[in-house]
Amino acid sequence: MLKYVFERVLAMLVTLAIIVTMGFMVIRLMPGSMFEGNPDMSPEQLAALEAKYHLDKPLLVQYGYFLRDAFTKGDWGTSLKLYPNVPVWEILQTRIPISMYINVYSLLISLPIGVILGIVAAIKKNTWVDYTVSFLVVICISVPSFVFATLMQYFFAFKMEAFPIIYEPTAVGMAKLYSLALPIMALALSPIARVARYLRAELAETINSDFMLLAKTKGLTERQATINHGIRNSLLPLMNIIVPMFTNILGGSLVIETIFAIPGMGGMMVNSINAPDYEVTLAILIFYSIISLSTILLVDISYGIIDPRIRMGGKK
Amino acid sequence: MLNVYTPDNEKYNNIDKSKFVLVQAEKEIHDAKFETKAVGFFKDAAMRFIRSKISVVALIGILFILFLAIFGPGMNEYGYNDQNLDYINLPPKIPVLAEYGIFDGGRVLQNRRVDGLDDTSRYPEGCILRVFNEREVKGVKMCDIEVDYYKYAGIPEDVVFWFGSDYLGRDLWTRMWRGARVSLFIAFISVFVNVFIGIVYGAVAGYYGGKTDMIMMRITEIINAMPQLVVVTLFILFFGTGILSIILALVVQNWIGTARMIRAQFYRFKGSEYVLASRTLGVKDRVLIFRHILPNSIGPIITRAMMAIPGAIFTESFLAYIGLGIRAPESSIGVLLSQGQKVMQQYPNQVLFPAIMISILMISFNMLSNGLRDAFDPTQRGA
Repeated sequence: MLKYVFERVLAMLVTLAIIVTMGFMVIRLMPGSMFEGNPDMSPEQLAALEAKYHLDKPLLVQYGYFLRDAFTKGDWGTSLKLYPNVPVWEILQTRIPISMYINVYSLLISLPIGVILGIVAAIKKNTWVDYTVSFLVVICISVPSFVFATLMQYFFAFKMEAFPIIYEPTAVGMAKLYSLALPIMALALSPIARVARYLRAELAETINSDFMLLAKTKGLTERQATINHGIRNSLLPLMNIIVPMFTNILGGSLVIETIFAIPGMGGMMVNSINAPDYEVTLAILIFYSIISLSTILLVDISYGIIDPRIRMGGKK
Repeated sequence: MLNVYTPDNEKYNNIDKSKFVLVQAEKEIHDAKFETKAVGFFKDAAMRFIRSKISVVALIGILFILFLAIFGPGMNEYGYNDQNLDYINLPPKIPVLAEYGIFDGGRVLQNRRVDGLDDTSRYPEGCILRVFNEREVKGVKMCDIEVDYYKYAGIPEDVVFWFGSDYLGRDLWTRMWRGARVSLFIAFISVFVNVFIGIVYGAVAGYYGGKTDMIMMRITEIINAMPQLVVVTLFILFFGTGILSIILALVVQNWIGTARMIRAQFYRFKGSEYVLASRTLGVKDRVLIFRHILPNSIGPIITRAMMAIPGAIFTESFLAYIGLGIRAPESSIGVLLSQGQKVMQQYPNQVLFPAIMISILMISFNMLSNGLRDAFDPTQRGA
């Protein structure tokens, strides 16, 4: 097991290195200089600036500088256009918490709701309850989160005035949660549907299995058997979809954040692409890669822990 | 009562002997031929498909949107990039429906003085549709009114925008269906390329197995390990925005799923007797792969392609939102949504129509692929 984890971490680091290299090359190979088109700058100033950020050196040397700074000083470059002269790392530090806030909250509220809907649908299989849940699931999975966000913003915030239209940066505590309620809800709909669908399929299968029949023959009531044996057994595999779902929510929140003017990673990514401020873009891409790779790693390792029947890393 | 012949049944005693004929005096004895026609694989699937009403409704919905995406932009006189700054941000108006109070070009104007409503220089005759919310503010009678904005703004009678117009005076009906066309085009082409690459790759890996398979699967694992968001972003940054680079960006990772599925199918079938038989007869590898084994997976392939289409549409609009979408004058569902979202509070029609359309499209495709999966593989029903 330990060897397997070690191998996986190594593989992850290799992938990360490939992504960082590719990202760096792609972004530096973009046509044009970051300082071009600024009429106030004399050629001497331009040259001095390029020399300062090593932009006049060959690409591989630039990459070497980048890696050296990143590893020895934790310096991921400096924003040049969006926030001139602010280190990218500092910008990230102000942006990550708010993104994480809405992501974690939407995951937290989607789990119980999804689990309950899934269980209800599975127990009442082929009744109107099941059909209603399945119908809602299809809608929530199909319609993109940014369409939900737009519609919610229009109807709940603008027409009914039940929620603030955009995020209020000054709010703290419950007021902050309240001002972020719509984006959290919009992000949570798809995970709710996914959890419900997965759990329904899983539980419907478990209910028909032999050990459930045995439990009932032993004298357990339908309810006892379902709660103690059925649900417990079908909740375990849920772990496999929760962690990747987090990556999904993170991707969705890119757009949701711009819609609700939340100063998180999403808005910064959009701005940095449009500015263009590639140092920032690169840092964000690396951030997303790290998150997404670690979730994959977590899932792979958790397989073995959750269900010991799955032997990790075994050859045959 | 059944009329069965028994020797003691009096009813049959007096039948004339000449009426009896030997059935098979000269005829050959053989099994009766099937009277009904044989039901083939596709007919079988089609029968199951039609039985599920939801899938049929979904199919009709998709065909309807496809029809409008093809013919919609040509239905009125506007082009998708005809700008007219005299007609910006108009509300939707459809002449036939206007009499019933919907799509009447109405827009609510708030806080108007009641005594000013008769002033025809400000409110041309017949432009006021509704007066409501009358109230008194500091002794002045105020009200909100809904006006036919076309008459209010003095736009000629024959100028009508069915779904309204945007901030450059472009017709939203034309742009919306043009956008649907572009989005569907991107989705279909990218899925087609995905499936094509996936089939060839998966077939080779699955058929040859062993070391070939091992190496090919490791390659897919490496590609798949990168987060899709990052890959797509880098790809478009590198190749620039445009239909082609979006299609390519959608292909980079998505073919892997198809390849894995095809590979699994090949592992299932390549050991069967009929494959062994054809190999004994000297059939070439290429023919075995594409004529004998591949057709077994035609059902899952179609289902998978249908499932991939909404994903592609989603990614396209997602890219439009983060500023990596289709280039400026061209329209797509994502471009319309992200443009409309910015002016949503003033002109909700600019985002509502594309939002409704993309929702119907996505739901229909998901329903359709569910129906297709059940039709091709009934054992998976409801999973």
